[in-house]
Amino acid sequence: MKATPLVVDETLESETRDLLARRAARLREQGESAVEEAVHWIAEFPLGEERYALPLESLRAALPLRMVTPVPLSAPAVIGVLRFQGQVLSALSLASLLGGHGWRQDPAVLLVVDRGDGELCALDCEAIPRPTTLPLASVEAARARAEGPVVEVFTHDRQLIHLIDPKRLFGRSDGGVRHAR
Amino acid sequence: MPVDPMLQPLVAGFAVEAQEVIQKVTMDLLELEREGLENDALARIYTRLGRHLHTLKGSASSLGLQDLGDIAHKLEDALAPLKAHTQKMPRPVVDVLLHGLDLFMLRAQAHADGRGDDLPNPAAALAQLVAAAPPPEEAAVLPGGAFAQPPPAAQPAVAGAPAELSASLEPAGESADAGWRVSAGQVTSLMREVERLREVRLRVEERSRELERVSALLAKQGLLAETAEARTLLSGTGRSLRTDGEETSDIVDALEDGLKAITTRPTRTILDPLQRMVRDLSRQLGKEARLSVVGAEVSLDRRLLEKLQGALVHILRNAVDHGLEMPAEREKAGKHHEGALTLRVEQQGNLLYLEASDDGRGIDLTQVRKVAEKRGLVTAEEAARLNDNQVRELIFREGFSTRSDVTDTSGRGVGLDAVRATVESLQGRIEVSSTRGQGTRFVLTLPVDLGSSPVLMVRALEQFVGLPMLAVESTQLARPDMLRVGKRRTHLEHQGQLLPVVDLGARLGLRASSPPAEGQPLLIVQSGGKRVALGVDAVVGDRDLVIRPLPSEVREVAAWQGAATLSRGELLLILRPDWVVSDSEKVTVSAGSRRALVVDDSLTARALHRAMLEAGGFQVHLAASGARALERLQADTYDVVICDLDMEEMDGIELIARLRERKDTRTLPVILVSAHDSAVARERGLSSGADGFLSKRECAAGRLLAEVLDVMSRRGSRA
Repeated sequence: MKATPLVVDETLESETRDLLARRAARLREQGESAVEEAVHWIAEFPLGEERYALPLESLRAALPLRMVTPVPLSAPAVIGVLRFQGQVLSALSLASLLGGHGWRQDPAVLLVVDRGDGELCALDCEAIPRPTTLPLASVEAARARAEGPVVEVFTHDRQLIHLIDPKRLFGRSDGGVRHAR
Repeated sequence: MPVDPMLQPLVAGFAVEAQEVIQKVTMDLLELEREGLENDALARIYTRLGRHLHTLKGSASSLGLQDLGDIAHKLEDALAPLKAHTQKMPRPVVDVLLHGLDLFMLRAQAHADGRGDDLPNPAAALAQLVAAAPPPEEAAVLPGGAFAQPPPAAQPAVAGAPAELSASLEPAGESADAGWRVSAGQVTSLMREVERLREVRLRVEERSRELERVSALLAKQGLLAETAEARTLLSGTGRSLRTDGEETSDIVDALEDGLKAITTRPTRTILDPLQRMVRDLSRQLGKEARLSVVGAEVSLDRRLLEKLQGALVHILRNAVDHGLEMPAEREKAGKHHEGALTLRVEQQGNLLYLEASDDGRGIDLTQVRKVAEKRGLVTAEEAARLNDNQVRELIFREGFSTRSDVTDTSGRGVGLDAVRATVESLQGRIEVSSTRGQGTRFVLTLPVDLGSSPVLMVRALEQFVGLPMLAVESTQLARPDMLRVGKRRTHLEHQGQLLPVVDLGARLGLRASSPPAEGQPLLIVQSGGKRVALGVDAVVGDRDLVIRPLPSEVREVAAWQGAATLSRGELLLILRPDWVVSDSEKVTVSAGSRRALVVDDSLTARALHRAMLEAGGFQVHLAASGARALERLQADTYDVVICDLDMEEMDGIELIARLRERKDTRTLPVILVSAHDSAVARERGLSSGADGFLSKRECAAGRLLAEVLDVMSRRGSRA
């Protein structure tokens, strides 16, 4: 007589466990997707003493800095031109574009970036960037506060990142690059 | 008269052919109208003209287009008496013949479009032609007076004219039935593939050279027996690769030629009709004008030509209407009564230059200023501040050219805003220059981006650059007896002319200018009628290269027209010949500016230092190694050197040691920069004789400049 309720209880317990497990899995999935929605993916790299980043969505490639042809008489920020997938791109000095910036080691990497206007260009960089995330709310708040091409955002662990907005950087009245004749 | 449905497809082809023949006839008529032709030349033109008219008549009649046959017959009648006497064709006769041709073409097109049934009676058309003939008293002085006579009875259809028919209709018939309809995009993408193939061909050439180097290295090893088989195999592969490369080259050339034949047509096709336009307009205005065309054989993208046609019509109409004076006024001003218009077409690399000039009254800048002010385009203060070039630019402003009364005042400008819009839509630019009383010149510069172009590769210091071959007239080595060295510039005596010598390295801002050394290569470069002797450090050779447009960040640099890919994937910048021959005096830096030499093996570090120093008013030259820096310092003088501490081959410390050994550089201020930001590195640098030391981290804007000025000031006070 006691055995039957026990079996029922065990069955219920088993069903409950399954139910709870499924619910937990659902919540875990929801949690994960909620985290993805709330972050902004970036490519982070050092520039001198500071940490800079570009939105990952604007990054097209990272190349070794070689085969760049200098362009005499070009604007100071222009390092030269290079060939990328059949196109001729400009290689630009990020430190120069940002108004003159010290650096720790000579850049050895070029980041091919979508300028935000459909054109590509390459920016020099001291090291291969690291993909990571920033809280989306912080990014949006920082962008709302500042109008310039670089906004300051803190990471989850309170590290300061200078986030570059390519569209703002190249959309400035001087196109981000001063032309010389 | 309805066309036989069986013949309708042929009629469309005939209309196309007729258009071409009529264009030739038009050109001949305009030629016959001019003075000064020898009798032989006149006779040849009359013969050709007769043949063309006969072809038109025969072909039209064969297709049952009797109205067209009758018109052509009438034109032949008008020509016959003049042909017999071989003389300049009187203007009224030219008018009638041109009118007849217009009539012929209109009706031919209507037949081709299937609108033949709607055409008015051919008799009416013929009567109209006769009515346009010169009045009897004028015709009397014309031999024959053909149009004063009643038209002859309609000729029976020349059904059997096989030779004429085959000559004029075969190609059209073939194209109508056997051709393909392809989109411009498809052809362009095919051309892009051919361009890629040409670049692959260059890489194959490079691989072949690498194989040769490997074979040579193996031979040097001394292990002849062990490597014999490998060397035999390698040299066999090398030979095959060379042969394959040559065959690829032939195929690429053939493909490119074929595609160009499809995508391009001679500029003549849009320039020839302009002759007629100029003639008719000048007659209508009581003026006399002659249009000369140079470079009509240049073949260009058909789409480009179509867009340019309207722009050229605008410019030439303006030139005739507002630029050229009336014949009497011209003679009074000491000019020939006939105004001269010139169209010059020239392609150099991937740039097309189109120049339209007249010898008229030129642009009245005072009037342009007044009109611009009156129309509210500029305020009186703004107008007063504008220089002559800026005033000339006003004629391209929309408000300026759309006003109907502008032409009464300035004599220029109607529709020029539209011309500029067209040119800019083609990524080109338009410039105008004008001299009061002497004329006006418009220069259109447009990119032409299909196919390859021959390029001469040269070197200035370490910079390799290309020059469109069409701009290079010749090459020679500098000899002291041919050079005239002046205070400000050097000239080369070349074929009885003195050409200014331009040092490419100096022109590119890579070094200070100096007269060419004996044996230095000099290229005679021409563009837009100007010539200079361009001094380079070496001539590397010629290549067929595909020139691609530059990205937006460097597109506006006047020196460059594009970049081409070389065998290893590196880019070669291509110079604009018009920039090379332009006045270099404008860009020379004043003698008072301070000069800095940056020595760093990092391209980006050089670029950054240059940016910071130029912002501080320095003229900056760059060297990628210690050895190059020593070469620069032997040729030029500098106020300061900024040198990387850690460089391969010769580091900063060794360079300073070498500088301190030499009398002329013993006291030259040198600042060492290093990625190593440590006390040890700083101590090591300063003890080597450097005047200053900065870590690259410290090279932020302002800091480098402050250090440079500080070091120069300290050196100066010690001196």
